[in-house]
Amino acid sequence: MTPSAPSFVQQHRIALISLVTLILLPFIVGVFEGASPLEVWSNRSGASKFVQGLAIEIFILALYALSYDLIFGFTGLLSFGHSMFFAVGAYLTGIAIKSFGLNLWQTFGLLMLAAVVQALLFGIVLPRVKGITFALVTLGMSSVFHIVIMSRELGDYTGADVGLQGVIVPDFISPATERLRLYFVALTILVLFYLLYRRFVDSPTGRVCKAIRENEGRAQMLGYNTFLFKLTALTLSSITAAIAGALHTIYQPIVSPDTAGLGFTVTALLIILIGGVGTLNGALVGAVIFRLLDFGLRRYLGESASFINGAIYVLIVLFLPYGIVGAWQLKAAPTFQQMRQGWQRLLEMFGLSRVRRASKE
Amino acid sequence: MTPILELRDIHTFIGQYHILQGVSFTAPHGAITALLGRNGAGKTTTLKTIMGLTPPRAGEIRFEGRRIDGKRPFEIAALGIGFVPEHRAIFRDLTVEENLKIAERKKGDYARKQEMIFSLFPDLKRLIHLRGTNLSGGQQQMLAIARALVADNRLLLIDEPSEGLAPVVIEGLMSAIRQLAADSTVILVEQNFLVASQLAEHYVIIEEGRSVKSGRMQDLVNDRAAIHRYLGAA
Repeated sequence: MTPSAPSFVQQHRIALISLVTLILLPFIVGVFEGASPLEVWSNRSGASKFVQGLAIEIFILALYALSYDLIFGFTGLLSFGHSMFFAVGAYLTGIAIKSFGLNLWQTFGLLMLAAVVQALLFGIVLPRVKGITFALVTLGMSSVFHIVIMSRELGDYTGADVGLQGVIVPDFISPATERLRLYFVALTILVLFYLLYRRFVDSPTGRVCKAIRENEGRAQMLGYNTFLFKLTALTLSSITAAIAGALHTIYQPIVSPDTAGLGFTVTALLIILIGGVGTLNGALVGAVIFRLLDFGLRRYLGESASFINGAIYVLIVLFLPYGIVGAWQLKAAPTFQQMRQGWQRLLEMFGLSRVRRASKE
Repeated sequence: MTPILELRDIHTFIGQYHILQGVSFTAPHGAITALLGRNGAGKTTTLKTIMGLTPPRAGEIRFEGRRIDGKRPFEIAALGIGFVPEHRAIFRDLTVEENLKIAERKKGDYARKQEMIFSLFPDLKRLIHLRGTNLSGGQQQMLAIARALVADNRLLLIDEPSEGLAPVVIEGLMSAIRQLAADSTVILVEQNFLVASQLAEHYVIIEEGRSVKSGRMQDLVNDRAAIHRYLGAA
């Protein structure tokens, strides 16, 4: 007798358990504090609110890291300017609401437009530069944006070097009074984008993106206009990061100019390196570890936490070059051979492998 | 009969190097034409030039009467020219099935050609869910050729198919290439003269970036002096 195919629930049991846990999380935390589900529902449980806040930050980071995994992990576009996608979303949302009094839907429309425009802006250089050159050009673009938002001339709108403050978000998703609703809004957005991304990477378009990551010339030889595929990935990534930025503005009392800096692009890179580059799940796992590690270490070690954090990231990349999800998929602790292959893969993705360069010529 | 492909006085540069210095030949419809020559003569560059990967600076390339020089690689491929590069250029991160599906030019190409591909390369059916990186050299070469068969290519450019393969694998590949030629025209770059002479009906010899001799393969096989002079084989 042939074994029957696993059911949907069996196939996706970890994802489903995670989702149910996340739905119940605010209420479970409330129970530990002695608050009834009704009290949690009406945002009266302090501990639950705190955990919801931490989780919202993780959802935003995960959404942002997903967007980076799409262009770097799946399409092979190494961008050092990815934080600009996020910051444009964050600043635009804040300015639209605060300075122009737009409602959320109008802001959302503007956000979509800006996300497409900035993807096209990055797209202009796509046919001309590749690899590390593309990374540097995108860094240049985001640096210009960083300078613009820091400028005093635009200080009334952007808050210059202090950051954008005083954005009054609509009551129904106010992090102060309706945090649970915001929690579920952020969770829903993350789940929807995750499903969209999963569909995208498994689609014929996603397959071509993976082929471009491995060897763009070969993809062209099969008749694909690779520019259009890279632009599609960039646009989807830009929209996602801009929405993550908008959520950031809604949740945080201040939008720092640091969100447009290189450091915040490195954050996305670190998250997917921890979780696993080109896995999608890695962006989610990486965001959880990144935020919780940062939160835990800062709480107990103060400023020296950054040093320990850095050391942990180095160890993860050294011993788990496929990331946590990648190692999980290997179903065993990686052997030295697998580690070497993982390092080689990372070097190739960063355009630092001689083998890759030679094979592309 | 009009040739499917015609190259006229092609000059190609790679960086500052003048690699092709006047390549001209025609490839007859429905036949296998072998590009022969010593290492570094410009055979692979000729194929890359046809595909638009190293565009020519001078000369004309016509495919079915239409000029294709100056077009980009994906436009040339979309006209119905398949390229199987040397070094088994498959996508290592994709499975065998994904490698085949990605070559679809029209939806359903893979489903339509599946049976024919697996009858030519039965091994691939067994390995369908394996990633490219886990295949042996011979299997990777089979996959590279099979991929070029998925779309309806009227011209196939195959670069060094036997390179680094065991004799028994080469036998299988040769029979597959022969079957391919029944449906499309093939231009083959092959260092192994024995393999080339058994496969091709026509030949073009390239020497130092110039096409110096062409004709029917049978005539070349009988011309020991030419083989010795141009290919260094006795």
